[in-house]
Amino acid sequence: MKRRGRGIACMWYPIGFTVSANPSAATVKVNEDGTATVLTGTVETGQGSLTVLGQIAAEELGVATDDVHVVSADTDVTPMDTGAIASRTTYVTGNAIRLAAEKAKAILFEVAAPMLGVKPEQLEAKDRTIRVKGFPQRNLPIGEVANHAQAVKGQPAIGSASWNPPTVAMDPETGQGKPFSTYVYATQIAEVEVDDETGEVDVIRIVAAHDCGTAINPMLVEGQVEGGISMGIGFALQEEILFDAAGRQINPNLTNYIMPTSLDMPQIEIDIVDSYDPTGPFGAKGVGEPTSVPTAAAILNAIHDAVGVRITSLPATAEKVLAAIQAKNTHDLKRIAAR
Amino acid sequence: MTDKMKVTEKKKDFGLDTLREAGETLRLPTVTPAVPFPLETLVPQVRQQTPAVGQRATRPDGRLHGLGQTKYIDDLAFPGMLYAKIKRAGIASARIRSIDTRAAEAMPGVMAVLTGREIPVNSFGPSFQDQPVLADERVFHAGDGVAAVAALTEQIALEALDRIKVEYEPLPAVFDPLIAMQDDAPRVHPPKSNIYATKTIRKGDLEKGFAASDHIFEGRFCTQMVEHVPLEPHCSIAEWDPNGRVTIWSTLGRITLGRVDVARTLKLAVNRVRIIATIVCGNFGGKNEITQEPVLALLSKKTGRPVKGVFTRGEEFIATTTRHPFVMEYKTGVTREGRILARKVRLVLDGGAYCSWSETTLGKAAILSVGPYRIDNLLVEAFVVYTNKTMTGAMRGFGAPQVCYAYESHMDDIAAALKLDPLAIRLLNVFDEGSISPTGQVLHSVVVRQSLLQAAERFGWTETQP
Repeated sequence: MKRRGRGIACMWYPIGFTVSANPSAATVKVNEDGTATVLTGTVETGQGSLTVLGQIAAEELGVATDDVHVVSADTDVTPMDTGAIASRTTYVTGNAIRLAAEKAKAILFEVAAPMLGVKPEQLEAKDRTIRVKGFPQRNLPIGEVANHAQAVKGQPAIGSASWNPPTVAMDPETGQGKPFSTYVYATQIAEVEVDDETGEVDVIRIVAAHDCGTAINPMLVEGQVEGGISMGIGFALQEEILFDAAGRQINPNLTNYIMPTSLDMPQIEIDIVDSYDPTGPFGAKGVGEPTSVPTAAAILNAIHDAVGVRITSLPATAEKVLAAIQAKNTHDLKRIAAR
Repeated sequence: MTDKMKVTEKKKDFGLDTLREAGETLRLPTVTPAVPFPLETLVPQVRQQTPAVGQRATRPDGRLHGLGQTKYIDDLAFPGMLYAKIKRAGIASARIRSIDTRAAEAMPGVMAVLTGREIPVNSFGPSFQDQPVLADERVFHAGDGVAAVAALTEQIALEALDRIKVEYEPLPAVFDPLIAMQDDAPRVHPPKSNIYATKTIRKGDLEKGFAASDHIFEGRFCTQMVEHVPLEPHCSIAEWDPNGRVTIWSTLGRITLGRVDVARTLKLAVNRVRIIATIVCGNFGGKNEITQEPVLALLSKKTGRPVKGVFTRGEEFIATTTRHPFVMEYKTGVTREGRILARKVRLVLDGGAYCSWSETTLGKAAILSVGPYRIDNLLVEAFVVYTNKTMTGAMRGFGAPQVCYAYESHMDDIAAALKLDPLAIRLLNVFDEGSISPTGQVLHSVVVRQSLLQAAERFGWTETQP
């Protein structure tokens, strides 16, 4: 018989390295027409980080996402970056890019101020213009300012900056300290169907509520959550590297190492939890790794809810779940007999 | 299209011509059909709107992926490029007596062979430099590389690997982390202890916390070793130029660190190494350190030709990092209402043959193992241990999925025993804005409670009836 169950799991996860410095540096160049080029040493590994980083630079310069081109990942060309690791790109590299864009913007403000007859502090960059705060009609197209800065004033609008999350070293005896600048939080709830005659577990539905600070790009956040859940399902139910007695892997291939496929994916419902972190770029934190953290826990709790067995070692393969169900049935029978 | 598909069609008669033809077809670089590109590219409106933050902006690389125009490393080819393959030890623990490469070198089409002794500094690693680029004196796990070949084709390189004769003297090995912790266990990296890093977190008074508790629960949980399995395997091309500069196109996710590591192993000034990461198709932590890059660079130096190396799926499993298996013991004291007063956690991480990112994983796992809960009295002891198995390193979550599985399973067991709703017991214990973390940090922008409530509402969670 197929039995349904539900399981909940929440988690916390830090952004960036544990205590150790993990800086990012960036350069932002505003071109003659008000478009911009960003140089970053981070690497796009499929998550869409370059899109998010471009959006951060665009926001600071008051231009659109498409106005920014991001050049990445060439050690001869781009500034240093600790890299695509530890869910740090949006938060750390994003902060560096925001600061670099701010510096480039300061040059634009300095050049635009006399053109608009105000002080640089009175200016803001919005909707592809440099305009007077509280008086948006008084504005200049950002391209005109950028070109004037470079061709007339001889001050090209280029800014470079770096950022490193502030931490406090941990005490070696007690571990007390501030290992991370910030953390994100999340909850996932899984609904599963367990066949109590075969032990097979089918994940029907997962609801995921994730905090990432400000979602710079909600679509990419959702992409990360979906990918993280698929990885979590593999970890919970299927994937396992096995070794023979001599320490050699016996299933180093995709025939015998079973990954979830699109057919194994449940219905996924994603909520982005409203939050704002003042230490991140425009309130953003990160979301990469945390998406796969609570999935296995939620699924295993759902199995427990469905058939009353606690699987204490991953993965919860059909064999393992069936053995646990049978052991429980035998145990329950004995208890009845003893009465 | 149809004639390109013939490689994958099964043929009953595998004559020599068929095989030769198949090999040549396989070696052809991927050529996408000629399509004219419009002068004005259509840009989705969402990419043209301000403010930029909060927009569901599409990715600039999306069009390339969709049209099959993305150039991954395996899509790149340079004139005269050679193909490299690495011979894997296939034995978990041994001393290397001798490596005879003569027969391989004599093969037509083989341009160079490389062994560990030719590598200027044959060690690397993000925390400890305990990993050889190619094993030279000793093999620490079965996936260790022992020699490499650069040849005109991948097939010749593979055949040459078979002709390299390595003599091993088998040494005692240890595979279970709990056995590896014992004093009399064989040492993986003698004279160093197998326990290569520890982490302790202590807060409040554990015994007092347990004494004040109405109930004490215990649980033990284990997790397995898994692979990242990125779609694109580890892949690099190295080209050594006559000025003694090396350019490496690589799937590395951390080029800044990669450049320093390559420079160190090759004894080059850092500015003589250039690393270009193209679009990397999946990382998940597995591409955070160098693997074959120094080998390819030296083979390029030896041959004066660009050299490409692409890991097979098998090598992805046996010769790159994996996720740490954990053994986790939890002891938790709670009031009868379900409030947690004390928690003791002991973690043992199977660190595999090399440290890699184990120190980071250990630290994060130890801190996070308590869960997002306000617990005043706690003790976490965590150990990472060498074994003669595939090295474990960075993988999405650095130990967090393992400990989350344990602390959340444990939580539900406690809830069931106290006849409490799983959501309710969490809401009773979770962090709030300004809560103090296990390491004494005041937490900000804390929304774990909101995430629980939001997920529960979306799911339609109704309270468990006791």
